[in-house]
Amino acid sequence: MVNLRNLSRRGFLNMSAAGAASTFLPSGLMRQAAAAEPLPAIAEEDAVLGFGHVGPITDEGWTWSHHQGLLACKEAYPNLKNILEVENVPYSSDATRTYRQFVKEGANMIFDTSSTGDFLHEVVKRAPEVAFMECNGHALMDNLGWYYLAHWYPTYVIGVAAGHLSKTGKLGYVASFPVASVYCSTNAFIMGARTVNPDATLQTIVINSWFDPQAATQAGTALVDNGCDFLFGIMDEAGYLQVAEKRGVWAAMWNTDIRRYGPNAYVSSVIIDFKDFYVDQVGKRLAGEWTPGEHLLPLGGGVDRDTWGQNVPQEVGDAADAVRQKMLDGWSPFVGELKDVNGEVRVPEGQRMTEMELYNWDWSVEGVTGLSS
Amino acid sequence: MFGNWRFQRLPSAHPGVAFAARAAAVIAALVFTGVILAIAGANPIELAAEVIDSSFGSSFGLEDLALLFIPLILTGLAVTVAQQIGAWNIGAEGQFYLGAFSATAVGLFVPGPPALILVLMFFAGIIGGMLWILIPTLARAYANVNELITTLLLNFVAALLVYYVSTGPWRDRVGLANSATPRLSAEVPEFWGIVHWGLPVAVLVVIATAAVFTFSRWGYEVRLSGSNPSAAKYAGIPVRRHLITVMLLSGGIAGLAGMLEIAGTVHRLQGGISNNFGYLGIMVAVLARGSSIGVIFSAALMAFILNSGIILQTQGLTTSAVLAMTGLILFLTAIGDELSHYRITREKT
Repeated sequence: MVNLRNLSRRGFLNMSAAGAASTFLPSGLMRQAAAAEPLPAIAEEDAVLGFGHVGPITDEGWTWSHHQGLLACKEAYPNLKNILEVENVPYSSDATRTYRQFVKEGANMIFDTSSTGDFLHEVVKRAPEVAFMECNGHALMDNLGWYYLAHWYPTYVIGVAAGHLSKTGKLGYVASFPVASVYCSTNAFIMGARTVNPDATLQTIVINSWFDPQAATQAGTALVDNGCDFLFGIMDEAGYLQVAEKRGVWAAMWNTDIRRYGPNAYVSSVIIDFKDFYVDQVGKRLAGEWTPGEHLLPLGGGVDRDTWGQNVPQEVGDAADAVRQKMLDGWSPFVGELKDVNGEVRVPEGQRMTEMELYNWDWSVEGVTGLSS
Repeated sequence: MFGNWRFQRLPSAHPGVAFAARAAAVIAALVFTGVILAIAGANPIELAAEVIDSSFGSSFGLEDLALLFIPLILTGLAVTVAQQIGAWNIGAEGQFYLGAFSATAVGLFVPGPPALILVLMFFAGIIGGMLWILIPTLARAYANVNELITTLLLNFVAALLVYYVSTGPWRDRVGLANSATPRLSAEVPEFWGIVHWGLPVAVLVVIATAAVFTFSRWGYEVRLSGSNPSAAKYAGIPVRRHLITVMLLSGGIAGLAGMLEIAGTVHRLQGGISNNFGYLGIMVAVLARGSSIGVIFSAALMAFILNSGIILQTQGLTTSAVLAMTGLILFLTAIGDELSHYRITREKT
């Protein structure tokens, strides 16, 4: 699970600690570049922050949520004047150019809110005096950390609700790319659903974008046409919720409470909140205490399920919430035996998957179709 | 009286007039956008100063310009080369993708020392671009199918092909990169910050191409075939053969751009690799007005415009505003170019 190519000496020294980190530490910290010397403190009024987003901040979803984090920082540190923010950063060498421009403009801390990977790392390596944080990143360097959410727990909870609500047992999923967060999301969802309906299946359509309302709408329509009566996905906006509302099927969403786009269809959402995390990280950077770490915000501490939709029966919500409560008490559903789509045992009987294994999940469990395995 | 004034179209614009028209167009576009920005509440002078400072004030900025310049110069040249024989290669985007695709295939699956692999990738990129334009070329040469349509449509096929392999069979399972292939180990070395040796290679390709078209008999025949195919045919010039060669050359150059982008800049094949460089190459070629050497200058201008776009975004302008500005500059330049072909005369009555 460690990216050997990008492993720094400090990262290497720290590897032994990483293996042990299977449960959450406070603030979702998984591990820290222990020996890294913190970057020097900066006065609030001199500090420059940079935020690069994958979509527009008006998406009412992913990018909007990160923008709320930026606003929270402004509120927490009122003398912070210079915050650079760029929307619609493409996943291409233009991302490198955008982050280099932040550096040119004197940024002290840069947040890449949608893992541009190597495109960001190119800049990280050449700007050692700048602190970088990559959301859904995978590399830990002397001046780069990452943060993400343990979204698999609320997703499993929503999956349990889907198992109760779906009559056909055919669930649909609008996916962005075949990446770890999508594998994990689809797997957690179908595993939750199968605890109620063991024959449930999940059909996935990949649309090659996190923000493409038109493609998401088309994919949602195709899934409903195929007999799915519950739509889930990992989109930054509400496109397929509107499809579900129109076609009279259920839908669960990501990011924020967007039930007003489909009040009858809305079941819940994997709701996210990065505000406290951003305030904490920026505060540490200003105080000269920031060192790069790996953070997975836990269930109830940055990620959760949203309040159940108006048409979700009380007993369904209660049944799913009972599972949520077990998770908050430390129980995990991600325990072997787990088989992949080819029937091969990937997690042996009784073995509990670590948080890092869940975060880096790259194969589909039985019942999921549409993702390359 | 007004009726005595006439617009007269000239066969070719006087270079001084053409330059003046272009300068006037760029200034008009800048003033126009400045006014719009001022109305929107921004300070255009401050923004302009920021753009100039960020672009030219540091090595960091100049490196960014140079890195943008490499693919633009080659895709611009690809389109310009095809123009020499009167063909519109709108498919530089697709050929760019195929060049990147073929180079990646070599980089991923052919074992060997990096230097050798790099050479193989170089040729694979060129051949990939050539293969992608082969069908439109033959269709144009033998069935007179309009290459403008065929090359354009193949762009979408190429993009989807690259999306498919980079998120499917070739996707990275080790480094956990976001929907891309593993990082290629063979890399074009950097010689100045992030700028790699693709830069001198690209410039050399432009100069060599310009020299061939200007000084060789072949180049003369091609240009003649482009400006008047019938006359060329009667003069015994093998127009069809030249058409095929030139279009393949065009595709190969665009493929080389894709190869250099993979091996020099991005190092992983992925969906967004092209950054629209193929389409931007059309604009570069239009601005270069059919001159291969002119491509160097128009690609430099385009690199500056694109880089300014990124700078302006960090200053709080939206992508759409930046795109609109880019479009405006090109639009006014095109008008200026066209107008420079006219002169106003007063007829004596």
